[in-house]
Amino acid sequence: MTTVTTRTRETTAPAGPPAPPPARPRRRGEVTPVARGVWPLLVPAMVVTLALVVLPVLYTVWLSVSDLRRDGTNAGFVGLDNFARMAQSPEFWNSVRVTLVLFVVCLVVETVLGIALGYLMSIDVPGRKIFQGLMLIPAITASVAVALVWMLIYDPTLGAANQILTAVGLDPVVWLGDPDIALWSIALVDVWQWTPFMALIIAAGIRSLPAEPFEAASIDGASGWRKALHVGLPLLTPVISVAMLLRTVDLVRFFDTVYIMTQGGPVNSTNTLNVYGYRAAFIDQQTSYAAALQLSLLLLVVVMAGAFTLWRRRRSIDH
Amino acid sequence: MSTKTRILGCVLGAALLALPACGNPTDAASGGGESITLVMSNHPWQRGIEPLIDRFEQESGITVNVQTFAEQQTRDKIQLNLQSRSAAMDVYMTLPSREGPLFASSGYYEPLDDRLVHAPAEYRSGDFSRGAIEGMKVGGMTYALPVNVEGPVLYYRTDLFEQWGLTPPTTVDELLATAAAVKSRTADVTPITLRGSAAALPFTFGPFLHATGLEWTNDQGVPTFDDPRAAQAIDRYATLAREFGPPGVINYSFTESSTLFAQGKVAMELESSNELNSLVDPGSSTVVDHVGVVPVPGSAPTVLSWGIAMSPFSEHKDAAWAFMQWATSPEIQLELTKADIAPPRTGVAADPAYTQSLDTPTRQQWSAAVADLQDNGNVEVGPVGANAPAMRQTIGDAVGKVILGEAAPDAAAAEIQSGLVSQLAGG
Repeated sequence: MTTVTTRTRETTAPAGPPAPPPARPRRRGEVTPVARGVWPLLVPAMVVTLALVVLPVLYTVWLSVSDLRRDGTNAGFVGLDNFARMAQSPEFWNSVRVTLVLFVVCLVVETVLGIALGYLMSIDVPGRKIFQGLMLIPAITASVAVALVWMLIYDPTLGAANQILTAVGLDPVVWLGDPDIALWSIALVDVWQWTPFMALIIAAGIRSLPAEPFEAASIDGASGWRKALHVGLPLLTPVISVAMLLRTVDLVRFFDTVYIMTQGGPVNSTNTLNVYGYRAAFIDQQTSYAAALQLSLLLLVVVMAGAFTLWRRRRSIDH
Repeated sequence: MSTKTRILGCVLGAALLALPACGNPTDAASGGGESITLVMSNHPWQRGIEPLIDRFEQESGITVNVQTFAEQQTRDKIQLNLQSRSAAMDVYMTLPSREGPLFASSGYYEPLDDRLVHAPAEYRSGDFSRGAIEGMKVGGMTYALPVNVEGPVLYYRTDLFEQWGLTPPTTVDELLATAAAVKSRTADVTPITLRGSAAALPFTFGPFLHATGLEWTNDQGVPTFDDPRAAQAIDRYATLAREFGPPGVINYSFTESSTLFAQGKVAMELESSNELNSLVDPGSSTVVDHVGVVPVPGSAPTVLSWGIAMSPFSEHKDAAWAFMQWATSPEIQLELTKADIAPPRTGVAADPAYTQSLDTPTRQQWSAAVADLQDNGNVEVGPVGANAPAMRQTIGDAVGKVILGEAAPDAAAAEIQSGLVSQLAGG
């Protein structure tokens, strides 16, 4: 976000010494950064990236177009068979639907609540920093621990959630055992865990906003609500979009909470694409099919994050 | 500094950075003496053996690094280690009735026959009950050592049954009638708890299927779910869970069921004989003195043994074998009976030190139920084959739909039939 904004400012800055003409073709014999010996400094990062990112992805691509058997032998190239099987599988499309529903619901709720909470947290009150620290606890707690604690809370007979509902005269709910409710119960856990994280980023953004546009709007007679909507929100968009991008990548890969709480059940109602791929690999031991599933997940993450980045860049340039 | 020196420096730096990734977790943990890593499932045997491991370490000088996880997480961890051919795990708990053919065909077990032949006489390798040691074999090869004997039994609340004049059921029909009777008496106590979680369900569903006279597959190896009796078994199990089970039973396995029983919230629990310890533990149970145990209704129990196996990728195989021998020795298995682990050794089962320790009516009933499943238990806890875990998931998913009221029993039976046919062919 910062990079984009800065670049925009630089290109539009009228003052200062004249900038060198952009994208001027380099002349022959001119000393480039590479020739100056900078590129060897990139080697460690390149080796690590190659070993930990590029090679595993390439190996996954190979697995997805071949047939790796349980005994570790590979029957060789099978073309797009695994992808064809994936496209014909109702379970796959169900898992795509579950992933997208979780993604949209969690992202929207976390963003809206995050903005509201972020605004409250940006107000200077005594003890604000302590409160901010406490708010971070859900986000820094391991998701596995969060899921286990929420399983206790959600226990239909012994859990706190139903005891509270019963105490206020409501019917108990089968939180994780009802296919119509389980997905929402898991979304609630994610919202609980990650809204404070969104709020903290947004609160920091609000505190760094310049005061002048708001003063100008006040002089023009704008109400508090209008100032927030037409001045504050547009100025905050870059911050909010970064927070949303971070959550997008995590939400499309949704795994740990679901796997601990329901393993994708009941009746596949919480079977996200990642859980489905994991089950294919480690329960069914269909490594090649699982590789195809994980590649489709990778594609989904890349498309969504790419679309988001493009939208951010356009908005930033417009702004 | 010249460019060449810089490049060399950078490449060396990168290689150094990459080095830790090539390391083996056991290298760091091993220290001076030999050390092995044991991966266990959260299980009564694990809770029994863990406090005793100090003795082994003192006797042998071998350090045992223990890793314990919930059952499904343990399976994931073990398979990750084995699939990646990692030396980070030396000994692991295994359920050969479930994963035996899969692991054996994948080369995930170290064969133990040679080592057993050369085991010292005091180990008494011929003392394991026939069913227990046969259950550790795949294709005639021994891949694990049995650590217990278990099977589904019915736990019930003796105080409630006495209060309401009920007798423990002996058939599936009586079980349904007893559950209905409990439901008619009170709304505060759930009549019965049993497994609903898909992967775990076949363990307690099996006796319902076998009670109709069916096996998972017929003599030709074809699934039997096209027989109307299979739909009947599904219907009875699902009715019990849906009408008389706790809310959220679809996610239940042994942990949830035993917690509910120990908290006094349920009248009957259909669970593994292993669960006795958690039901009579005064630290966690509120019904310690009111637990009755009878064989699973329907007279068609299933029986299995957990075992410990050696990873073929272990770099400390002799130390691992020393531990495995110690953990399954007659002395330790006798010691483990104090933690209510039914011994897989006939010598230990008949040992007066064990039989005299069965000093409460609950323990005597439990011992009789365990003897019954050892004598009459069907060793096929689920369909047998390399695809066993996936086949159990298929059965669990389909029965789960009936429990939730989303499918009729015959539709579920048809779904299981078609699923098993292709999974058996693929295995």
